[in-house]
Amino acid sequence: MHYHRRKKICYFSANNVEEIDFKDIELLKKFITETGKIVPSRITGTCAKYQRQLTNAIKVARFLSLLPYCDAHK
Amino acid sequence: MRHYEIIFIVHPDQSEQVPAMIDRYSKMITDSQGTIHRLENWGRRQLAYQIDKVHKAHYILMNVECEQPVLDELTHNFRFNDAVLRHLIIRRDSAITEPSPLAKEVDKRHHTYEERPAPVQMQPEVASEATVSEPSTEGDA
Repeated sequence: MHYHRRKKICYFSANNVEEIDFKDIELLKKFITETGKIVPSRITGTCAKYQRQLTNAIKVARFLSLLPYCDAHK
Repeated sequence: MRHYEIIFIVHPDQSEQVPAMIDRYSKMITDSQGTIHRLENWGRRQLAYQIDKVHKAHYILMNVECEQPVLDELTHNFRFNDAVLRHLIIRRDSAITEPSPLAKEVDKRHHTYEERPAPVQMQPEVASEATVSEPSTEGDA
């Protein structure tokens, strides 16, 4: 039978985040894997509205070298 | 006038020039009736990946309100200044004045260094641990 899955909650809707800030790298780090990839919303439970903002924020942070693009940087 | 968020990354060898650069750019903005709402110097930060074979660089964040010609001049300056490794300008809807998460991080780092002796000095008033903590402060100093 189906085992019970805990319902995932969107972190950003739960905390009434107005806009995701690309400068908040400690927060963004929670949404990337150890290889630097953006974690899909089906894993994190982030809702679509915030997942779009999140990808943008992470990509801007990567451009500014605040976050890595991948783990193979020399 | 529109609101912009400007971030630029300066080569670590040119770190001494940073205050002069901030002054120059702020003057450019204020001279043209623009305003600076937030100015943050994040100092020398570790880069997530190297840029131009550099591992650390100086970050500066500015939230400003200015006209298009001034902005064009700024970007022109950034582009032809070899000390600027990277720059980013984002249009914002409103003035942002509260400190950014990264500035807080820099602040915290300073506080831990400056305030570390403080709790030790406070302890003698607690009486019981006074004898234990007092010699240790002298040892640290």
